[in-house]
Amino acid sequence: MAERTGAATRARLHHGLRIATLLVATAIVGGLGLTNLLRNLDRYESATAQLVAIAALAAVLATDAVLVVLRRPWWSRARLPAVAVVLAASALSYATLPEGRTSTTVDWAFGAANWVGLVVLLDRPLRSLLAFLAAHELTALLHLLSLEEPTRAALLRFATGSVNVIGYPLCVAVVTVALRRIGTAAARAQREIEQVRTAEAVAVESHRRRRQRFAELSGSTVPLLEGLADGSLSPADTGVRRRCAIEAARMRRLFAEIDTVADPLLHELRHCADIADRRGVLVDFDARGRCPPLPVPVRRDLTEAALAALATAGSWARVTVVGEPALVSVSVVADCGGIAPPEPASDGIRVETFRDDDLTWMEVTWQQPTGSRTGRSPR
Amino acid sequence: MAAADRVTDRQITAVIVDDHAAIAAGVRAWCERATPPIDLVDAEGRLAWVWTGRGAAADVVIFDLELVPGRPDFGALRRLVDHGRRVVVYSQHADNATAIKCVDLGALAYLTKREGADHLVPAIRDAAAGRPYTAPSLSGALMSDNAPDRPRLSTRETEVLRAWFASSSKELVARKLDITVKTVDTHIARVRVKYANAGRAARTKSDLVSRALEDGLITLAELNTP
Repeated sequence: MAERTGAATRARLHHGLRIATLLVATAIVGGLGLTNLLRNLDRYESATAQLVAIAALAAVLATDAVLVVLRRPWWSRARLPAVAVVLAASALSYATLPEGRTSTTVDWAFGAANWVGLVVLLDRPLRSLLAFLAAHELTALLHLLSLEEPTRAALLRFATGSVNVIGYPLCVAVVTVALRRIGTAAARAQREIEQVRTAEAVAVESHRRRRQRFAELSGSTVPLLEGLADGSLSPADTGVRRRCAIEAARMRRLFAEIDTVADPLLHELRHCADIADRRGVLVDFDARGRCPPLPVPVRRDLTEAALAALATAGSWARVTVVGEPALVSVSVVADCGGIAPPEPASDGIRVETFRDDDLTWMEVTWQQPTGSRTGRSPR
Repeated sequence: MAAADRVTDRQITAVIVDDHAAIAAGVRAWCERATPPIDLVDAEGRLAWVWTGRGAAADVVIFDLELVPGRPDFGALRRLVDHGRRVVVYSQHADNATAIKCVDLGALAYLTKREGADHLVPAIRDAAAGRPYTAPSLSGALMSDNAPDRPRLSTRETEVLRAWFASSSKELVARKLDITVKTVDTHIARVRVKYANAGRAARTKSDLVSRALEDGLITLAELNTP
């Protein structure tokens, strides 16, 4: 997500710069270049060749304009031919240039073709543009040295012209690189902000849940701990020990509630069974069918009887779960003596208790209240 | 009941096919401690030994469904049943489909390995007499069976299956539902007869149905109600 926003920031910056460069290039080729060309049309060795050269440059610019509108970069395969077209156009222009006119207003291609090359190579690394500009310069220089009399004045003119021809596009390219860096930095900063925000939200939520858990324990666990602390409850008392065992199981269930598992009810019951298991109680656990997704309060009501029975069982307990699309039943049989049946808090919960000597059999059944639809399909 | 009586007159022999030596040793200990004791032959995980020697003469075959882990051998179970062998399936699997399939193939009992001597010894005795034995795990499977072609069970039958599955004590079921242990057994037996009357034909199953009809456990009309 953050990666994507970073990329979007960079793309937006780059797109703006691309439009600007294209406008500058179009103005130079279409304005300055074309004006100079037309004004001096009769001085060229072949006016047609000059017109073909400027048309080639215009074609490259038009292609770029289409790509800018489509918000697409140059195809990597078309880029090299485009650069070749630009260089060929300037070579063609030089070939039919009247003598002694390199880097004058007659030599319109000298100050125009470089911009077209920049348009094509804008999003490439700086060295590509440098190579292109060098090739462009070399074409003009070769023309000057080989086909003309390189007078001192001509060389000076060429040197001054080169400052413009190389300098301006290079400035734009450097700005592009800088903008790219700024874009990356901005994206990174945004990502960091988002991370901080997420961490903050997580912290707030876990704090809320911790408080809620504490509130849930405060009704039963806290009075027990207070009683033990101030000596009003004695650990020697069997009843107190049973309460402690049940509270320990409740806390264990609370910890299990936050786990992400396929079947949370069975997961929580297994945690309750584990406590009995550790005390040496033989726990028989069997589940049939599949439980529908249940909210935490319903799961708590369903597991409460099993929890209390498992926490206080003497030697043996059997826990069974039967799940149907609209009915879940948790049954526990254990030699836990008489324990108070739990009082359910949610709707649709029924508790059945059966006692036989030391054995207690409790069955908690949740039936989906009629009229409420959760849109589950039958198994 | 004549056949059943003949079996109880002499010592019951059972052959166990299980690739785990500890299981075979444990079952042997349970059989020796049972009253009257059951004579156990250990096939040492080799199915061939069930068909030859003392294994071939055993009244009951205690069959580990997964001699090759991960591949329940229903074919071997079918062959055993088709040859009139009385099979108690002793499996690691606790899923409904496996249990019901074994019953459909004609196994007289299906027990998971969590179920110990309390269920295995009565299962062997019942199987030796040609009677089905329904352990709590199988009861759970039958109760939650939701196949479209499952036999129709009465409310009471489902209730008994459910209670037996939940408590694994017939005395407790009887006291909770306020019926006798014998009535609990009758309800469970009727469920098995209904299952024996459905699905694939097998001798153990048809024997079970005809005996139930003879004993008046169920009527033809009740059986044929879809």
